[in-house]
Parts: sequence; structure tokens; C-alpha cells
Amino acid sequence: MTATKNATATSESFVHPALFYRGEEEYLDGTVPFIREGLKFGHPVAVAVPGANLALLREGLGMDAASVRFLDMTDAGRNPGRIIPRVLRAFADAHPQTHVRIIGEPIWPGRSSVEYPACVQHEALINPAFQGRDVTILCPYDAGRLAEEVLTDAYATHPVIVSGGGLRPSPSYAPGQVIAEYNRPFAAAPVAAELQHFGIDELPYVRHSAIARAAELGLSGVRLDDLALAVAELTTNSVVHGGGSGSLRIWAEESQLVCEVRDGGQLNDPLAGRRPASRDQRGGRGLLLVHTVVDLVRIHTGPEGTAIRFYLGR
Amino acid sequence: MRPQANASAAAPVTPGSALLLHPLADRAGWRAVGEITATTCPAWERTLGQLPLREETVCHLELSAVTFVDVAGASALAMAAQDLSTGRRIVVERPPTTLPRLLDMFWPDLSVIEVVAR
Repeated sequence: MTATKNATATSESFVHPALFYRGEEEYLDGTVPFIREGLKFGHPVAVAVPGANLALLREGLGMDAASVRFLDMTDAGRNPGRIIPRVLRAFADAHPQTHVRIIGEPIWPGRSSVEYPACVQHEALINPAFQGRDVTILCPYDAGRLAEEVLTDAYATHPVIVSGGGLRPSPSYAPGQVIAEYNRPFAAAPVAAELQHFGIDELPYVRHSAIARAAELGLSGVRLDDLALAVAELTTNSVVHGGGSGSLRIWAEESQLVCEVRDGGQLNDPLAGRRPASRDQRGGRGLLLVHTVVDLVRIHTGPEGTAIRFYLGR
Repeated sequence: MRPQANASAAAPVTPGSALLLHPLADRAGWRAVGEITATTCPAWERTLGQLPLREETVCHLELSAVTFVDVAGASALAMAAQDLSTGRRIVVERPPTTLPRLLDMFWPDLSVIEVVAR
């Protein structure tokens, strides 16, 4: 194993490197020394990666694995929009007095083309979300199996790249450009998906109607509660922040239920819904709640209005 | 101190959405009927706002006839609970499933709220 000791040591308090690996050996070479060095310095270390790599790392770390917080990213980070508040900030905020190391792998072969824009935007948003924080977030990319376009985007979302046992600046770092580029219109909704317009008086009706339709499409139990909560927040946001009214439609796509809410407002804060809420904070949890309970959130916003689609497994 | 008879409150009613709050007859607290959402939250907040003025150690909120609580309603409850003086607590009886889910999600260590499940 070729150790990449000090691979992420820089003078900046926040460090966000991409690690391109090919195969298990390169994966372990790029991650295990990073973890062990953190443990040696007494830094809290978390690993949020897909299950197979989680198992690989546990084995590679041996006894040291007991000192590391492990999360399966395919579960905790199924929706990329909740990774910053519920995975990364949750761990970093729990250790405010010391440097924190996190390995986060939000993009893996198998992420769908519908999920991918939200994944790239998440990677780009890590930079403003952690600016000035005493945190290192190392993001492995499976260079042997991911598309070239994905690797190109990783150069744009990470200010530094792990290379030759050290760090070098990314030649094409441009997170703001990436966020804008992936703010794309959605594919058309099915014609059969009934459009429901709502204002303040119709908020309960549109929620009840969405629950009934979702139940017809096979949603039940906690997932039906999740839909009700998400619909309540998005439709209320449209009334309060989106010009006073909006429209909703709901349909099924393969194994998922899709719900879309549109209104005339523009979402100007790209980190909206990605900041954890303090316990004494009265409001500001609406979009955070949606990100937390659903499997995917896609947003398209501009001067002409905002469309938000969320996906729930049936 | 027992709830006052005039403590009932109703939010401006929109079609299909209303919240009625009545003092409980047999213990300190209120029974709620309807939905607790952004629309009806002002009535919920007015009622919860009375908690710091009261003296009983335990206040009961009987929610078996509440059909939905959104995050605004859960937040109002959590804020009220944090304003209680030491030793006091709120027992939330038979709320809809979204309420304990929201409390676990955003206020997991708020031990002054005790939830009795449906």
C-alpha cells in the first residue's frame, strides 16, 4: 500500500479534495492513511460511502475501525440534498472544538441520470456550506467506472485534487458555474398527471388530494406520511414565498412516486434547506424537512418561477 | 390552575382546515380537534403561549382528534416546551404519527415533551 500521508494537509481550515481511484487497492491507499492520520491527531473521523466500500474500509482499518463513525451513503445520502445538513454538518457540528475529517462518496456508479444533477450540485454546495470551517471532506470518485463527464465535474466542484501523495489545485474549479449549469428544466410530466392549482384556501384540499392519489399509486404507511409532510411544506412555501399560489401534480415512474410543485417565485439561496436548524429556531425547516424525508429532490428555479420535484420509493 | 373556559381558540377557517382547542375537563391542558398546520398555527401558538403563565407541573395535550401536524405545528410545540420552567413538562396524548416523527427529527433531546402514542 502506498501511503498518502499528509495528502490533505494545507494551511486552509476547510479542505475539500477529490480522490480519483481505480480499484480497491487505490481506494484503500487514498483513504486508510487519511483516516489513520486523523485518528493519530485525535480528530473525529466519519466515513459515509456506499456499502461495498464501507465493508472494504472496515476490513482495511482493522482495529482502527472501532474509532470511526460509519454511514452507508446509499441510505443516509440517498437524497443528495440531505447530505450536507444530516450527514456532514451533523458530524462536524457535533465536534466544534477540533478539526474533523470526513470521507464522503455521494456519487457512485448506479446513480441515475435523474439523481446526478442533484449530486453534482451537492458537491458544489459543500464549498460555501463549509467555508471557514475546520473540516476536511475527502470525496472519492471511482475513476475506473464513472463516466468521463462525472470526473470532469468533480474537477469543477473540488478546489483541490489528491495527486501523487499530495494535493494540487484543480485546474477547473468553478462551483458556482456547476450549480447554475445543473439548474436545468425537467423532462415533461406525463400528460395524464392531473394539474391542481392552489392558493391559501386550497392548501388542505391539495394535500388531502395528493395523499389520496399517492395511496392509489401504492404509497402507504410512513412513506405516505412523508409525502403529506413534503406536500404541506412545498405548497405552503408557494403560498408564503412563491407569489401566493402554485400548482401540484403527482404521478408514478417505475418504482417511484413523483410529485412536482410549481410557483412563480425564485429560489435565490442555493443553500436553502441544507442548513441544520438549531433547536431554538422557530422556522426555516420546510425545505430541510423535504430533503430529509424524501429519496430525491430536484429543483429548477429562475425568474420565470420555481419547480420542485421530489421522488419517493413505492 | 385549570384551563380557563374561554381558552378555546379557532384559527381563521379555510375550507377543509380548522383547529378547535378546548380545555380538558378532568386534567390540566387542552383537547385539539382538526389540523395543526401553517394555516391554523396561530390558534395553536396562542394556546401554547398560555403555558408559561400556568402553574401545574404537567400539561396534557389530547390530540386524538387531530388528523395532521406539520413542521410549523411541531415547532410551535417545541418552542413552548423550551420556555417551560425547570421541572414542568408536556404530555402529548395520541397525536398523529407525523408529530413524534418531526420531534425525533428536529428536537431529539427535548425530554420535557412526553408522547403517548395512538
